[in-house]
Amino acid sequence: MTLRSDHVAGAAFVLFGLAVFAFSGDLPFGSLSAPGAGMMPKLVTGLMLLFGLALILGAAKSQPFAEIDWSDGGHALQVVVIAAAAIASYQTLGFIVTMTLLVFVLLVVIERQPVHYAGAYAIALTVIAWWVFGKALKAPLETGILGF
Amino acid sequence: MGITLDSLWLGFSVALQPGVLWYAFLGCLVGTLVGVLPGIGPLAGISILLPITFGLDATKAIVMLAGIYYGSQYGGSTTSILLRIPGEASSVMTCIDGNAMARKGRAGAALCIAAIGSFIAGTFGVIVLTVIAPPLANIALKFGPPEYTALLTLGLIFLAYMSTSSLTRTLLMACLGLLLGTIGIDPLSGHFRFSFDIPELGDGIGIVPVAVGLFGLGEILATPSHKVTGEVIRPKLRELWPSREEWRQSGWPIARGTVMGFLIGIIPGSAHIISSFLSYAVEKKVSKHPEEFGHGAVAGVAGPESANNAASTGAFVPMLALGIPTGPVTAVLMAALMIHGVPPGPTLVNDHPQVFWGFIASMYVGNLMLLALNLPMVGLFVHLLRIPYAYLYPLIIMFCVIGVYEVAHSIVDVWIMLIMGGVGYGLKKFGFDPAPLVLGLVIAPIFEMSLRQSLIMSDGNWTIFVMRPIAATLVVVCILLLIASAVSAIRAQRDWRAKMAEEVKE
Repeated sequence: MTLRSDHVAGAAFVLFGLAVFAFSGDLPFGSLSAPGAGMMPKLVTGLMLLFGLALILGAAKSQPFAEIDWSDGGHALQVVVIAAAAIASYQTLGFIVTMTLLVFVLLVVIERQPVHYAGAYAIALTVIAWWVFGKALKAPLETGILGF
Repeated sequence: MGITLDSLWLGFSVALQPGVLWYAFLGCLVGTLVGVLPGIGPLAGISILLPITFGLDATKAIVMLAGIYYGSQYGGSTTSILLRIPGEASSVMTCIDGNAMARKGRAGAALCIAAIGSFIAGTFGVIVLTVIAPPLANIALKFGPPEYTALLTLGLIFLAYMSTSSLTRTLLMACLGLLLGTIGIDPLSGHFRFSFDIPELGDGIGIVPVAVGLFGLGEILATPSHKVTGEVIRPKLRELWPSREEWRQSGWPIARGTVMGFLIGIIPGSAHIISSFLSYAVEKKVSKHPEEFGHGAVAGVAGPESANNAASTGAFVPMLALGIPTGPVTAVLMAALMIHGVPPGPTLVNDHPQVFWGFIASMYVGNLMLLALNLPMVGLFVHLLRIPYAYLYPLIIMFCVIGVYEVAHSIVDVWIMLIMGGVGYGLKKFGFDPAPLVLGLVIAPIFEMSLRQSLIMSDGNWTIFVMRPIAATLVVVCILLLIASAVSAIRAQRDWRAKMAEEVKE
């Protein structure tokens, strides 16, 4: 049997639904006349399990799992890792340093742009954004431990 | 009618104030830019700019944010026609014939037809909105929890029925959204649900981080810059006016797209996207020359562009009259109103007439502004399209982070956005449309509250949903739609939605 994309997707939803059931064990379902906090999550999870199984059963029409194009996966992973590093350091380093580094690293590491172009663009962009959001629109931006 | 005209007069007295006019213009300009630039849709645009409106009064805030929404529908056509890349999801259909017209040297005419069609549809939509929203709000005052439960269920089922992906996939997405919407403190019992000792999750998961993650970051993750290549066709200003034959060919498609778009817009779902797909399918069906579609058919531009604009206006009807969002964009707009202390819904028209009528009047003005913006300034937008995508997406990521963080100054929200970006990327790979997920998240609190209140009211008796006339009617429509979907599935025939999805893929 060929493993198809809907087999994988359906199984993922079923597993997710089972995990939600496990985590919602302590939430009271209540009764129909006095529904509890667990009623809605359990009803919806039940439906999710049902639809997940339906997806698996009807998977024959979906494309083979091996044919899914993951060629952009490397790009996606790199963006996620760089963005995660920026988010982790945002409150510590503040808006200006974090955003300059974020744009610079994206341009140099992923896009292979010349360092001086990337640096100039990252600084200019961050300063403009800082002025527009922080000064003109008075949105409080993070200052970080460096004080800016 | 007299009262409506008086109220509209009040609206214009608000909308024509210099401050309101300025924010309407700003919203239209930003909306056009959001539509023009690939990778950033109206939802991400509105979400990112939501914090900017915190310092404004409710009227200016909603006028500006709504301007971004309907402005993006205008702007999306520019990128589609000149670059063959949809600047916005609802412009996908315009790519096909709009770009084909551009390659035949009719780029100006295609842009003009798109703009005029959008203007006619937008203005028609506002006129109908003006007439039907106030009486609908009065009817909605009679709605109780059972009616709201039935209406929201109908919205979800209709979304699944209309969606170009399968019923199962759409309902799965909606369930995931509803489940995410249950995270946080239960408003009736005070129980913490799925908060994993993270205090920020006590308030639940916000719409903004989820929407920006799925639609903004998710799109960027799936779009490496080397895949975004395209030749920008630069139209000449003197070529903007369509020929007499092109006007003739666009008349009925604009009329059909306008009416169809508005009606679809009222129904929950990604109305502006679905309406443009449907309009294209209808125009191809009724055309005497269907073979021209895909090769520069004027109707293939006029119909979908009118439909998506009419739908974006139609989406304001349930939002303003019933307090029900028809999709993620209207949900964020509702959130903006609530942040400013203005609860959307049936009481809005009576309790905050200046906001309600000022907003409606501003849409008449906004449509005129957009017409003036989109045609003469097309050269400027062409220059914008020349910015390499490699330099554009870091800017979008920066805006995503700022926009999400500034809503509640919560770094947890930014992490949620990143996770949702990854989820959006995965969903795209497996062919899931994330729009029902966001809709599920949006309606989850209202749906759960109305369902539980209905059951408490009836002492646990489910027949409350069929004993009240309005709720019963809505339930019957739900059942009919489910039967229609089931029959279609049982026959295992490729129905119009599957065919349309296939045409879009081609």
